Amino acid sequence: MDIHPSRRGFLTLAAATGALAGLPAFTASAAPQRPADAPAATTDPRHLLWWQAPADDHSMIEQGLPVGNGRLGALASNDPGRELLLVTDATMWTGGLNDTLDADGQFPYGREDFGSLTLLARLTVDLPDHDLSAVTGYRRTLDLAQGVVTTSYVRSGVTYRRELFASRPDDVLVLHLTQNGGGRYTGTVTLDGTHGETPSGAESFAGALPGGLRYGAAITAYGSGGSVRVDGTRITFTGCKDLTVVLSGGTNYAPDAATHYRDPSLDPEALARTKVRAAARNSADTLLRTHVADHRALYDAFDISLGTSTAQQRALDTWERLRARARDGVPDPELEAAYLQFSRYLMISGSRGSLPMGLQGLWLDGNDPDWMGDYHTDINIQMNYWMADRAGLSSCFDALTDYCVAQLPSWTDVTRRLFNDSRNRYRNSSGKNAGWTVAISTNPHGGGGWWWHPAGNAWLCNTLFEHYEFTRSRGHLERIYPLLKGACEFWEARLLTTTLPGTSREVLIADSDWSPEQGPLDAKGITYAQELVRALFGNYATAAAELGRDRGYADTVAGLRDRLYLPVVSPTTGWLEEWMSPDNLGETTHRHLSPLVGLFPGDRIRPDGSTPADIVAGAAALLTARGMESFGWANAWRSLCWARLKNPDKAYQLVVNNLRPSSGGSNGTAPNLFDIYQVERGRGIFQIDANFGTPAAMVEMLVYSRPGHVELLPALPDAWSAAGALTGAPVRGGFVLDLAWRDGRPTEARLRSVGGRTTEVAYGSRSRTVTLKPGESVTLKDLAR
Amino acid sequence: MRSPSYAVLPARGLRAAVVLALTAGLATAIPAAHADPAIATTATTDTADATGTAGTGQAAPAAPTTPAAPALAAKPYMGWSSWSMQSSKYPGLNPDGDFSYLTEANVLKQTDALAAKLKDFGYEYVNIDSGWWRDRAWKPEFDAYGRQQADPVRFPSGMKAVADHIHAKGLKAGIYLPAGLEKEAYGDGKTPVWNADGCTTADIVYSDLRTTNGWDSAYKLDFAKPCTQKYIDSQAQLTAGWGYDFLKLDGVGPGSSKSGDNYDNVADVAAWQQAIAATGRPLHLELSWSLDIGHAGDWKKYSNGWRVDTDVECYCNTLVSWENSVDDRFDDTPGWTRHAGPGGWNDLDSLDVGNGAMDGLTKAERQTYATLWAIAKSPLYTGDDLTRLDDYGLALLTNREVIAVNQGDTPPARPVTPSDPQQVWAAKNPDGTYTVALFNLADAPAAVTADWSALGFTGKAAVRDLWNHENLGTRRGGITEALPAHGSRLFTVTPHGSTLTSTAYEAESTANTLGGNASVAGCSACSGEKKVGNLYLGGTLRINDVVVAKAGTYLVQVAYVSGDARSADISANSGGAVRHTFPSTGDWGTVERVSVPVTLRAGTNSITFDSSGPGYAPDIDRISVPTSPR
Repeated sequence: MDIHPSRRGFLTLAAATGALAGLPAFTASAAPQRPADAPAATTDPRHLLWWQAPADDHSMIEQGLPVGNGRLGALASNDPGRELLLVTDATMWTGGLNDTLDADGQFPYGREDFGSLTLLARLTVDLPDHDLSAVTGYRRTLDLAQGVVTTSYVRSGVTYRRELFASRPDDVLVLHLTQNGGGRYTGTVTLDGTHGETPSGAESFAGALPGGLRYGAAITAYGSGGSVRVDGTRITFTGCKDLTVVLSGGTNYAPDAATHYRDPSLDPEALARTKVRAAARNSADTLLRTHVADHRALYDAFDISLGTSTAQQRALDTWERLRARARDGVPDPELEAAYLQFSRYLMISGSRGSLPMGLQGLWLDGNDPDWMGDYHTDINIQMNYWMADRAGLSSCFDALTDYCVAQLPSWTDVTRRLFNDSRNRYRNSSGKNAGWTVAISTNPHGGGGWWWHPAGNAWLCNTLFEHYEFTRSRGHLERIYPLLKGACEFWEARLLTTTLPGTSREVLIADSDWSPEQGPLDAKGITYAQELVRALFGNYATAAAELGRDRGYADTVAGLRDRLYLPVVSPTTGWLEEWMSPDNLGETTHRHLSPLVGLFPGDRIRPDGSTPADIVAGAAALLTARGMESFGWANAWRSLCWARLKNPDKAYQLVVNNLRPSSGGSNGTAPNLFDIYQVERGRGIFQIDANFGTPAAMVEMLVYSRPGHVELLPALPDAWSAAGALTGAPVRGGFVLDLAWRDGRPTEARLRSVGGRTTEVAYGSRSRTVTLKPGESVTLKDLAR
Repeated sequence: MRSPSYAVLPARGLRAAVVLALTAGLATAIPAAHADPAIATTATTDTADATGTAGTGQAAPAAPTTPAAPALAAKPYMGWSSWSMQSSKYPGLNPDGDFSYLTEANVLKQTDALAAKLKDFGYEYVNIDSGWWRDRAWKPEFDAYGRQQADPVRFPSGMKAVADHIHAKGLKAGIYLPAGLEKEAYGDGKTPVWNADGCTTADIVYSDLRTTNGWDSAYKLDFAKPCTQKYIDSQAQLTAGWGYDFLKLDGVGPGSSKSGDNYDNVADVAAWQQAIAATGRPLHLELSWSLDIGHAGDWKKYSNGWRVDTDVECYCNTLVSWENSVDDRFDDTPGWTRHAGPGGWNDLDSLDVGNGAMDGLTKAERQTYATLWAIAKSPLYTGDDLTRLDDYGLALLTNREVIAVNQGDTPPARPVTPSDPQQVWAAKNPDGTYTVALFNLADAPAAVTADWSALGFTGKAAVRDLWNHENLGTRRGGITEALPAHGSRLFTVTPHGSTLTSTAYEAESTANTLGGNASVAGCSACSGEKKVGNLYLGGTLRINDVVVAKAGTYLVQVAYVSGDARSADISANSGGAVRHTFPSTGDWGTVERVSVPVTLRAGTNSITFDSSGPGYAPDIDRISVPTSPR
């Protein structure tokens, strides 16, 4: 095997992966399937979030409600007098390949070179007579099941109502304003860019970013009973009984390294106009029906009940309910389940058919998101996708796969050209270089930002492989196989042989690296890398075997795996070591749990007797020392680890900690349920990873799985123990689980194979082996007896 | 008639005397052609000589036979003041240097605009603020008697002509002076005092020339010296002689950022009242700024209004800004509330809501600003450019329902909830309705709820939206509305339910548990004449055995004493605490009440007041727990 691909080889790889990645992100839609039935008028209040106040221009991140069709998204203010939509496209990235290293051999990390996710457009609907101070009975709801934001209020005796949704079948945002009681709408619709574009009139604009990306957006508005007309740079409507505003937009981003991630033939403005015109041939009701059917097809695949809330809790709006949960210290099982469902709503809205979600998903309030709203490969992007499979949204995972596959040619090229730059402190001291890796931050242009992150490739691969374990999709495995193999090649070139002090034992250790994001910069054999690479090698072996490929290389990798050094417990601290040193070289309560990556998301450290007891104890001791109070994503990771250690109290408390209402930028949950990360006192920002990591932990408390083993209620907290159910939860090994419990014990578990054959199903000390063919299911009723 | 004892007449007698004086003043002010014949025939017209000195104050002998003209400050006064525009860096306002807006031409222009746009709604005073006697370089000018005299560039026609113009429009004229003898008026101590044989400026100040007022710009007047009252008399005579109806005395202490003997201007204010009375002209005396609440009795005794806070102006590119310092009034007003009433009002300063761009406020902030001023019964005088009011500003300033709240015979509102970002203020009106204002002081929109139980009743009530002139129908239990950032709503609530029943628990009860420094103390105003105080550094009061029949959120009314605004962490049972700020009760002898939502379970509960926050918590008198939850 040539581990130094030639230029020709690189191009071949690029072409192949480009073809696999499929069509450009913003492309002509297939004719939508129009369901005949109207959507259900109302859904279970368990799937409704509601508020009694809107957002304003300055509070969009905390109070704006997110919508999205997987690519095109918006945060909406829902203010009666001024509906503001901050519109994003997942590909609306500044920057470029960014392949000129800084003097220290690391990557530039700015908005011009590396790039940043930015807003696509602002849509404003002004209704001068509907000032918030002049209306009564204001309420807005987010119907998680239907994917619709509804706002209602009374002005001078007339009930006004508006619906907002992001349709994937029609590839548009739709705002539909209606009223009951003889009211009329008079106002303006304004579409603005956010990058200083010159509008092409009131109904569309186009622009190009310095990095070369072209983009555009278009709107139209139509109503009945009044007039709607273009008036200079805006649309005015007068005396309308109802009004529908349709928006589309996108970029000419293409997930293809061979074309430098651009589709030069695509005119985004023209395409947006086409989509808007096509959608506007339908009534708002038709568009809604089409959207709801599409949304429900994903949403309804999974359900969760954690118990029953009180009437008093149900009477509170979502924000008051969060505050009451924190204040009264009384579990609110329906709120907690809704928090999980909200994350599924975000996943459906933010991760379909385009780029995956970065630090803020699709939702921004400006063009300068912290850390560029990028893909952080040392926990954050992985955490974003931990819940997709666990909560029955496996198809939403594909955006991450598509991304990695499309980036691979560029990652490979950049690694080959730049990783062993003599200025790069993390370069391979062996002098060898192969495969690919990434920086801590990655962009969609094939580039990295900030510092090199050698083990990032392994973590990405392991995340992609876990999706295979849930789905048993051979197609997926084939797509990710080049990523796994390239990462193995990288590590084959990078690992150093060393003799453990005081022994004659030779082991392989990772070259100089930084355990994210603390401690020494040049530590060899960091636990983080050892664990991730060990898992990578194991996954590669499985993949090669399953696909029947590269038997010889698989043997090589298996040999490397056997020789990898594994961390020990420090005699000084009693903790699992982070740096191949008995000393604590970092912050005791550091946010990252890098040395525990073998506990979660890895499976190497298990409290089931298969792992040496001192290792489990050392992991628990380290986790204890890290504490219970950190940023949202860090709490979520802690919760997942405690769930793995079967400590329901701590796992649940960390969930509760993340549900604390954020106040003045403090860590916690904003009114719109976005997780807020306190950057500094008084300044909190949105980080979406906790919105996915926390629900992943909630599921992990109810079911643990790895191929061949499913464990029911491993860490069921008292708060949820009275009665509950999980329906449609994928488990690793290729099954889907329906689980019901009562009084802390499973009453029924139904396992359906989506490709899995045999697995153990355990509860406590009892277990059962189940063998199924794909499509078959089995129901177990007596597990707790 | 105007004997020295006049100032110490009982209030009732004082008011009667003022009515007489006002009658006389009106007769002076109103041009003959428009004068009410009834007044004209029952009052003696004083004459003013050309130098602006008033007549010698012959008494108005006859009691009016027509209904008495309103007493001074029977209601909060309404009008316009020059200072907001003078103090602003808004483009174009002060082209000739700081404060140069103040000119005769501008005052007359604003007078005409006030008459045309706002007079019909009750706005009547046109108040000239600081600088009328100062040149563009802010150098003061004085007459031969050490009295401020008009700067000829600013006011080429003199101050009397301006007052005459204002009066000709059917309006009242206001003017301004600083407390004390301005240093530049001292003139080596040899400047004679008008109409005071042998008195010179050296005879009215302390020999050490100690300074006074908020800027230390004047020598402190020594009222132990017989000449000193004469100097005030001379200023008052000049002012009244010009025909002014209103005087703002500024830099008054204790207050105006000053304390201590040198800055105690109570005697100045008393002298002014006496001097005004001696002029025979009714002259509204308003004091400024940030007057010491500890002297509220003095201010009430000698004046018609007092600024409770610092300047509302921001001295920036707009007239005001929310943070500097409209928002301060929400915390600084409640302690003063009970001191307001006919004859003297809590002055929150200018109401600059007439032009959004110039004011520097959002629409929501402007409405909130006007709402607080209205319900607190602050004087309503705008500092806006009345020639440039925008539609929204004009609507705010001329909303008759809101003006009626301010001008009607209703008491000022005060908070019925803690001073949290979302807060509710209310007043119970003589007709049984309530004035209820919802405020969202947070920087983001929020829902705000007024619970009827916080007002003292349960069940249904009809709600009238005053700003929007709409009946919102009947609401049960309370009303929740979405408010924009810094937003407000203003309602009249007419109860149709029943009186709230509740159970009281005394803080000092031996059934309670005190922690840390907390201790029982005497309190004559408190129920049971005891309270629990010394709640600081984590001291706690746990009220035990609070029994309710049904689980739910209860609006627990807390009776407390707190001479300044203080916070306490309140929790029920083992639940998490919520920090609430209790508005000042103004002193340590007054009990006020606010209602706090507390979640209780059916059966026995405990409610804890914890002082773990910064500083002290308020002293707690008792709590009252309604029979039914929210």
